[in-house]
Amino acid sequence: MLEDKLLIWKFNRGNRDVLRAIYEKYKDDLVTLAAALLTDISSAEDVVHDVFVSFIESTEKFRLTGSLKGYLATCVANNARNRNKARRRHHKIALDNADPAGADSNSPEFSALFGEQLRQLARALGQLPYEQREALLLHSYSGMKFKAIARQQGVSINTAQGRYRYALDKLRSILDGEARK
Amino acid sequence: MRPADNTNELIKKLQLKASADLDKRVHDDISRALAESQKTASVGTRPNIWRTIMRSPITKLAAVAVIIVACVIGLSLWRTTGSGIALADVLARVEQVKAFRCKSSATINPGKPDGVEFRGSSVFSQEYGSKHTLEARAPNGGWEPVGERYFYPQKKMFVQIGHPIKTYFRWEVDDAEAQEQQESLSQYIDPGKLLKDIMACKYETLGRSIINGVEVEGFRTTDPNCRSSFSRSLIKDPQAEHDVKIWVDVKTRLPVKCEDFASGLDEMENPGIIQCITTDFEWDVPVTAAEFEPPGVPDGYAVVNARPEPSDEEAAIQGLRQCVALFGKYLESIGDGTEATEIIFLAIEKSEAPAVLRLKEKVKELMEDKKLDRVRRAGWPLRRLIWFYVRLMQDKKDPAYYGKTVTPKDADKVLLRWKLSENKYRVIFGDLRAETVSPGKLAELEKALQKW
Repeated sequence: MLEDKLLIWKFNRGNRDVLRAIYEKYKDDLVTLAAALLTDISSAEDVVHDVFVSFIESTEKFRLTGSLKGYLATCVANNARNRNKARRRHHKIALDNADPAGADSNSPEFSALFGEQLRQLARALGQLPYEQREALLLHSYSGMKFKAIARQQGVSINTAQGRYRYALDKLRSILDGEARK
Repeated sequence: MRPADNTNELIKKLQLKASADLDKRVHDDISRALAESQKTASVGTRPNIWRTIMRSPITKLAAVAVIIVACVIGLSLWRTTGSGIALADVLARVEQVKAFRCKSSATINPGKPDGVEFRGSSVFSQEYGSKHTLEARAPNGGWEPVGERYFYPQKKMFVQIGHPIKTYFRWEVDDAEAQEQQESLSQYIDPGKLLKDIMACKYETLGRSIINGVEVEGFRTTDPNCRSSFSRSLIKDPQAEHDVKIWVDVKTRLPVKCEDFASGLDEMENPGIIQCITTDFEWDVPVTAAEFEPPGVPDGYAVVNARPEPSDEEAAIQGLRQCVALFGKYLESIGDGTEATEIIFLAIEKSEAPAVLRLKEKVKELMEDKKLDRVRRAGWPLRRLIWFYVRLMQDKKDPAYYGKTVTPKDADKVLLRWKLSENKYRVIFGDLRAETVSPGKLAELEKALQKW
């Protein structure tokens, strides 16, 4: 992604206007990722907003290296995870249970936004344990490598791969079940 | 729902649109940040280009070269300022000088938090060559070595040492280049050049003053033609203000102090101030060959043996050839003020020519930090083309480039041209043939270009 290299190069030279180009390029992907992680549209937009606010504030504090898309996806995942934890605490739900936010994926708004074709997938994603859903989305949707996902989740690469496989199997199982109905 | 084995593909199809509300929130925040950063820039905390350059290991070496050369700007400046009789006296005295020393300082945005400060010392000898050392102000307030540059005319060799990047750069020059360097070194005593410069500049006398107990007479010019190469390289603003002064010892008729002040916008359009001072001249000092001996390679320093690649007509042609090899056509623009790196990256990003696709494929497999270097290397001839064109613009050589419409097949179309003299233009045609033509012939060629 040479265009990203150019964006990073400009960003590292203190050009803040480049933030607009970065936002415009990745906003839809990031909102989608956040929405799929949290199964909640308005929270997803808040996540992306928070990520960009931090990004804007940090322009003079650090230099970007590596993948821009990966960096932003990681920021979104971190922010979404924090929100998810807070929400879990709020609802006093056990960590091993499926994410209660998954229920939101049944909402007409969520279905309408994702489109009917993907509605079942979105609902099925909401039924996965959060860490598995995160590993699956970061790999399959954001294209992150397992090494990066492992670092982001603070686990070994094997664990990250395991979470991805479990998530995929479970998702297939849910979708197959839905298909048989 | 499709069968589950397509799950991964289905996940990739997930796509939401960010709402207008989110767009507004983020863009408002970016606008606020931009406004704040502009406000902050007025008190000088925005990163300036030279601080950025000095942070980057890739550009440090080039920066060191420019700054070290800038140490001697004062010496060339006084050739271009001054008044009739006084400077004629100065010239006569300097013609007799065989060796001298001086100290220089250069400050970017003096007194501001993002200010960068350099100081250097130089020694010149007609017989042995030149030697410059440079230091930069360290965060703790002290000074840290930045670089050294040596030229040995007898050995036909340059040595440059970049301390921050621990590099020992050494290259040899041929007879012609050595002669050119030697002439450049002694240009300050060229009466013809001096007179021409004086005639090209408007100046005023500042009267008499005292510097370090020495009675001096001052001369001042605000003519932009008298800008130093240092301020020229930093301040790109055509509306920039310049103030160049030279102070001459009324007894010895030799320069005592040179000052160069420039204020305007840098290439990032940040306001900037450049202040260069050359002082502490010691004229006709005794020097020995040993003082100019090439230093050894410091422990842990990488040695780079190379020849500097000039940005000349040949380089321009090579760059144009590289355009064709990469993109199958010429770059549409090479001199609209966009930086070379940006022009090349954008062109590569947009292009789907086979060679570019192969390049993109190659870099895909590289580690992140190697990708940029690989693309930079591929684009090196293009950079030299762009630099050549920028220099033509800076030197007011009336350049024009028609890459937007001229293709490699247009053998008789003007692709690039610049002025050699009042009666001569150099033209590179679409087939990369170069020819010198009269202004009348050029007008004819360019008229045909318009019709076409």
